[in-house]
Amino acid sequence: MGFELRDHTADVAVAATGGSLEAVFAAVADGLTACSTDEVPNAGKRFSLAVAAESREALLFDYLDELIYLRDVRAELPVDHRVESISGPTVESANGDDPTADPPWEVTATARGVPLAELDAREVKAVTYSEMRLENVADGWEAYVVFDI
Amino acid sequence: MSNPTFEAGDITLEQVREFVWEIPQEGDMRAPARVLASETLLEEIREDKTLEQITNTTHLPGITNYAICMPDGHQGYGFPVGGVGALDAENGCISPGAVGYDINCGVRMMRTNLTYDELQGREEELVDSLFANIPSGLGGGGVVEAGVDTVDEILARGVDWALENGHAVEDDLLHCEDEGMREGANPEKVSQKAKDRGKNQIGSLGSGNHFLEVQRVTDIFDDEVGEAYGLEADQIVVLIHCGSRGLGHQTCNDYLRKIEQQHQGLLNQLPDKELAAAPAGSQLAEDYYGAMNAAINFAWVNRQLIMHRTRRVFERVFDRSWEAMDMHLLYDVAHNIAKKETHTVAGDERDLYVHRKGATRAFPAGHPEVPAAYRDVGQPVIIPGSMGAGSYVLRGGEHSMDLTFGSTAHGAGRLMSRTRAKNEFWGGDVQDELEEQQQIYVKAQSGATVAEEAPGVYKDVDEVVRVSDALGIGDKVARTFPVCNIKG
Repeated sequence: MGFELRDHTADVAVAATGGSLEAVFAAVADGLTACSTDEVPNAGKRFSLAVAAESREALLFDYLDELIYLRDVRAELPVDHRVESISGPTVESANGDDPTADPPWEVTATARGVPLAELDAREVKAVTYSEMRLENVADGWEAYVVFDI
Repeated sequence: MSNPTFEAGDITLEQVREFVWEIPQEGDMRAPARVLASETLLEEIREDKTLEQITNTTHLPGITNYAICMPDGHQGYGFPVGGVGALDAENGCISPGAVGYDINCGVRMMRTNLTYDELQGREEELVDSLFANIPSGLGGGGVVEAGVDTVDEILARGVDWALENGHAVEDDLLHCEDEGMREGANPEKVSQKAKDRGKNQIGSLGSGNHFLEVQRVTDIFDDEVGEAYGLEADQIVVLIHCGSRGLGHQTCNDYLRKIEQQHQGLLNQLPDKELAAAPAGSQLAEDYYGAMNAAINFAWVNRQLIMHRTRRVFERVFDRSWEAMDMHLLYDVAHNIAKKETHTVAGDERDLYVHRKGATRAFPAGHPEVPAAYRDVGQPVIIPGSMGAGSYVLRGGEHSMDLTFGSTAHGAGRLMSRTRAKNEFWGGDVQDELEEQQQIYVKAQSGATVAEEAPGVYKDVDEVVRVSDALGIGDKVARTFPVCNIKG
């Protein structure tokens, strides 16, 4: 359980596994951190974030996108990811047709923000949908995400 | 006799003529795909998913003639890097994924009247001063720090904003595509999140393959065009490669998600979700075009501020004014862009969204959109090579409109993945070798970046340019060689 960085000509891909959806989300996020830096200093304070989206894959995409956004606006690299909870659609909302309703998938997570000034890090530009996979397997979940460098 | 073929796994390419290969239309493809390459380059291109990705691109509605992979093509996400796709602007679509995250990532070249002799012995001082004064890397800030009002002005007005605020001179605008201001830019269509990311990054290189390089001109291949571009042997020039930073990256993602939510039907027809496109004429297509044009302006301002700061650095190091060193913009070209252009297709004039992702516009002599200064000789095209190899200046070739919707290559093109490069090279060694063996002075925020951008990870830029020149889409004018390089 965890992640591996995989070869990609121009960019970097993260292949991650986890015993739960929460665990695989956190593993991909740790992979994102590893794409940015080889060594993570023991600095910075934890912060929390919450993201909502209309599907499980979109939630993973938006969670990673939010981490990259927060890196730029907080000037901190998010590391040491913990995903507290992921909730899916309830029966009522799954049956509802109201397109203005809040997106049914939600993640709440925390990360430690290491000030960029204290790091030797490189910029990951964005999360991509290219070749993205998020699959339920026998012993949990697998994910594959390509990041644009 | 049938044409020669090239087998690349499941894909068979048929040779149309020298350096032009075609993947025939079949299944759900809406047009054939073409690859412009020598067999040497094709052997490299077949190694990753480039051919699969260029084939996927032909599934986009409105694809006109064929999707084209340039000689420096390599695997990207969705669209390959080095891809050109002209999509009908009335019945087709516009694809944020096919423009890419770094909207208007591009290069500009600034001339000087300094010679290599005058610079030799000052390389370390110059590279240190550039590194100290040009923001680079992650979280390095920008040349200017701005509020959101300023960001809106930059998005709407491009380099005109820089001129008004003392970061440009009139002449800079005349030597930039669209005079540094894209019409139809709509700052309101750029999200608050994108603006928040961009406001601390105005005038910054970023990291990855972005850099600023001081170079010397080593060869002039075409004296007449070289003279028109103000280039001569031994002259020092400055090349700047960067894009629209977090603002552009966020804009791309914002619209990919909107397409997913609003145009699922079109998305489901495409073989790769990253090709997400908005149908021409839809509100979202219009919104994205306005936002992308605004991000294009942001990138132009970004490169302009870095160039103007570079002038100041040269003033300090060489103790004379930048005007006295004749530090003028030669040209600025975009690599990741979709532009509504009029092209002749089977005898008819058609409006097309020409998507160039890791490809350069290369309009020939006489084209009305080439700036007046270069209209008689053709648009300058700047092809950066790797840190240890030369770069090239080309001019738009006479066959570019027929073959490539007025486009050519954009660089050497990557060959080796970043993860492999980091295992094979160590940044410090690469730096030492470049300095000791080639007198190239490199300074970077991150050793890993140097390793990942080591000369050995790129294709042979000479071969890429040879194909462009032979096809007449971008003709060789001059070659340059690195002297100092700074990167994130």
